[in-house]
Amino acid sequence: MNPLKKIFDLSEPHFTGSGRFGKLEPLFDATKTFFFLPSTANRVMPFIRDNLDLKRYMSFVLVALLPVVLYGIYNTGFQAGFARNENLGLVPAFILGSRFVLPIILVSYVVGFSWEILFAVIRKHKISEGFLVTGILFPLTLPATIPLWQVALGISFGVVLGKEVFGGTGRNIFNPALTARAFVFFSYPVSMSGNVWVAGLSPVDALSSATALAVTGADGGSITTALSQAGFTLSNLFWGSVPGSIGETSALCCLLGGAFLIITRIANYRIIAGGIAGLAATALLFLYLVPGTQGGWGHAGPLYHLCAGGFLFGICFMATDPVSAPGTNPGRWVFGFLIGSLTVVIRVVNPAFVEGTMLAILFMNVFAPLFDHVVVQYKSSKRIPNV
Amino acid sequence: MEQIKISKGFNTPLAGMPDIGIVEFSDSPTLGLSAMDVPYIRPKLLVKEGDRVKTGTPLFFDKRDPSIQFVSPGTGVVEKIVFGERRQLHEVVIGPEGQDEFVEFEPFSQSYLSAVSRDDLVNRLKQGGLWQALRQFPEKDTADAAHTPAMIIVSLWGSDIFSPDPGVVVERDAAAFEFGLEVLKRFTDRVVVTVKAGSLDRLPRVKPLITHTVPDIYPAWNPGAVLYHLKKDSRENSSWCIAADHLIMAAKFLMTGCYPTEKIITVTRGREHRPHVLTRQGARLERVLGDFKEGEIVTTGRFDGRKVEPESHLGFFDNTLNIVATPDQDEMFGFLRPGKAKATASRAFLSCLFSEPKETDASLHGELRPCINCSYCENICPNDLMPSFIMKELLSDGIEDALACGLLDCCQCGLCSYVCPSKIELARILADGMDALYKDKQG
Repeated sequence: MNPLKKIFDLSEPHFTGSGRFGKLEPLFDATKTFFFLPSTANRVMPFIRDNLDLKRYMSFVLVALLPVVLYGIYNTGFQAGFARNENLGLVPAFILGSRFVLPIILVSYVVGFSWEILFAVIRKHKISEGFLVTGILFPLTLPATIPLWQVALGISFGVVLGKEVFGGTGRNIFNPALTARAFVFFSYPVSMSGNVWVAGLSPVDALSSATALAVTGADGGSITTALSQAGFTLSNLFWGSVPGSIGETSALCCLLGGAFLIITRIANYRIIAGGIAGLAATALLFLYLVPGTQGGWGHAGPLYHLCAGGFLFGICFMATDPVSAPGTNPGRWVFGFLIGSLTVVIRVVNPAFVEGTMLAILFMNVFAPLFDHVVVQYKSSKRIPNV
Repeated sequence: MEQIKISKGFNTPLAGMPDIGIVEFSDSPTLGLSAMDVPYIRPKLLVKEGDRVKTGTPLFFDKRDPSIQFVSPGTGVVEKIVFGERRQLHEVVIGPEGQDEFVEFEPFSQSYLSAVSRDDLVNRLKQGGLWQALRQFPEKDTADAAHTPAMIIVSLWGSDIFSPDPGVVVERDAAAFEFGLEVLKRFTDRVVVTVKAGSLDRLPRVKPLITHTVPDIYPAWNPGAVLYHLKKDSRENSSWCIAADHLIMAAKFLMTGCYPTEKIITVTRGREHRPHVLTRQGARLERVLGDFKEGEIVTTGRFDGRKVEPESHLGFFDNTLNIVATPDQDEMFGFLRPGKAKATASRAFLSCLFSEPKETDASLHGELRPCINCSYCENICPNDLMPSFIMKELLSDGIEDALACGLLDCCQCGLCSYVCPSKIELARILADGMDALYKDKQG
């Protein structure tokens, strides 16, 4: 017998029922099922079942996030070096970046999982796999300079008020990772406002750096010129060697992850395609039909809107969260389209927030059940009645 | 011949397709008449242990309609009457003795068929214990003889993926099949005969009688799926259906006056290609199952059947036995393996790139989780239902909304439960919802 299996079998009595650590049964169960996929026999029809389960479903999102995480770590180190006028190589940049990013991820997982375990113990149900994804998505939306206590507070808010108060995974209205980010964003705007996003700088130097979306064209100059002067050329934005939140900078890595999710059908392509279409349509609308200053983001055009900021990260990984997105296909198209569209509208029209993706997704999360309702009503009306 | 276009369903190639050949296991140590495979039945016994019965003697009837009777598949002595919990009748076991003696009726000739009244025809089928082969939608209860259905759907393929091949079953009794279709025309103006497009080549004699072909995707040949894709009006919701082997039985019964005891079934196990089995009605399962190991379960349909014990007997509605393994070992890092041989309807295993037949087992492959709205069930439902939404309506007592979403169009193929990554028993919840509604209607 597998030695690991033996350990689990031996310690099982202590962690179940009236065992000494009986209260920790969900934790024991989660650990055990992580190593050994449970195979209960089917008692009711159908007697055969698909091999896909929620563990695999959720771990595929982690696989899709790998390029984003790795590049995020590298870029954090690279930007930190760049700000000090050092041009770091791949390995030193990666090591330097790890020192900033890994603690954030670790805090997010540890604090978030503690809440998950607590709720599972009280509710006497199993720990759901949903947090595997939330726990990594949240740190990726943060700047590398964020104080760790804010990470802990943010993920606590996201897990408890974003998910558990609604009943846990599958019942939350909002994406928990974005709820956590929104909490930090509005509670600690100084950490999140965009001028101090390069790790390893003293506050004085920090002012010299800003994210792309905070850039505007000066005195009638066009936005694209201003962007390239600040280092945000389209190719930099696409490859991702710009300052920004840990996971959002590289459009390429987000697209790779998104493509992986679409091919494996873990994410629904309708949301991503709808989102990009909505973003492009609205950006073109602002570019050609709405008069405005040359220097504003209204004149940046669809490609800049696509690659700058957190839109691709949001639409590929946040908006495709099946729980908080609509459950019907037409609903998903509309949901995605409106996220893309709202993102541009907030970026261009709203002077208070330079980035609109988070707000657009959270706003559309609220509308998701309404889209579903309309679609279900319509589909029902098309059926031949059978009562 | 028209094509019915059904694109959604179970596409994964499965291992264990039966061979076209036939082996005969007609002798059975005991014969049984099962009440477990008859939906909604409330049986009332007509015999007691020790009674002598002929082939065709009624053994029990349905209390809800005493004219629906269930007859003995053999001649001999009632050896045992098996009850389950709360004295639910499971089956009546008969110890066969000597040659078959039949309860005989006047045979019907082709010309007499057109002259006989509809009521006489119904009564004869009821006396012969074959009326219940006709099932009425949407609940698939025994057909109501007073009702004139908009159509009767004859499916040449049973409910399982590896049901007996019509090239084996129907082709050898083509004359009886044709006679059976004439009988059905006395009950309705429209008889729909469907077959899988892939088995059409093996049906030279029956081919002219076929009206519709369906694609080779499970469960496109399920009468419920056929009805959903054919119906244009809500009057058609109460159509009837009958399996081809039952139609042949009914025709043979009318033509000879004797209860037909022959039955062809398939037995599948793992990767074995077993031939079809020619046996008799109510045969003991052990006799036809062949070798199988401890820890394997026997079902009468891997998707929509029931679990049966090897010492029980073949039911009237059963024509497939699947021997499915239950793995006894939890798989280490199961969720991380590439899964080249794992059957899945998703794209999350390497196996989706290879078309070789996959083996399946009777394991849940995961744990129960809340619904995450992934729409896998909607994407596989042949009848365009949204099972997850209907499930939520049912669990919140929204029966009207569940009906509006098409609850009664569910053909109970079981694919929604099969595919659910959260392992929710969707098919069971929908079936329970339909049952509760039906029992409520009956009062």
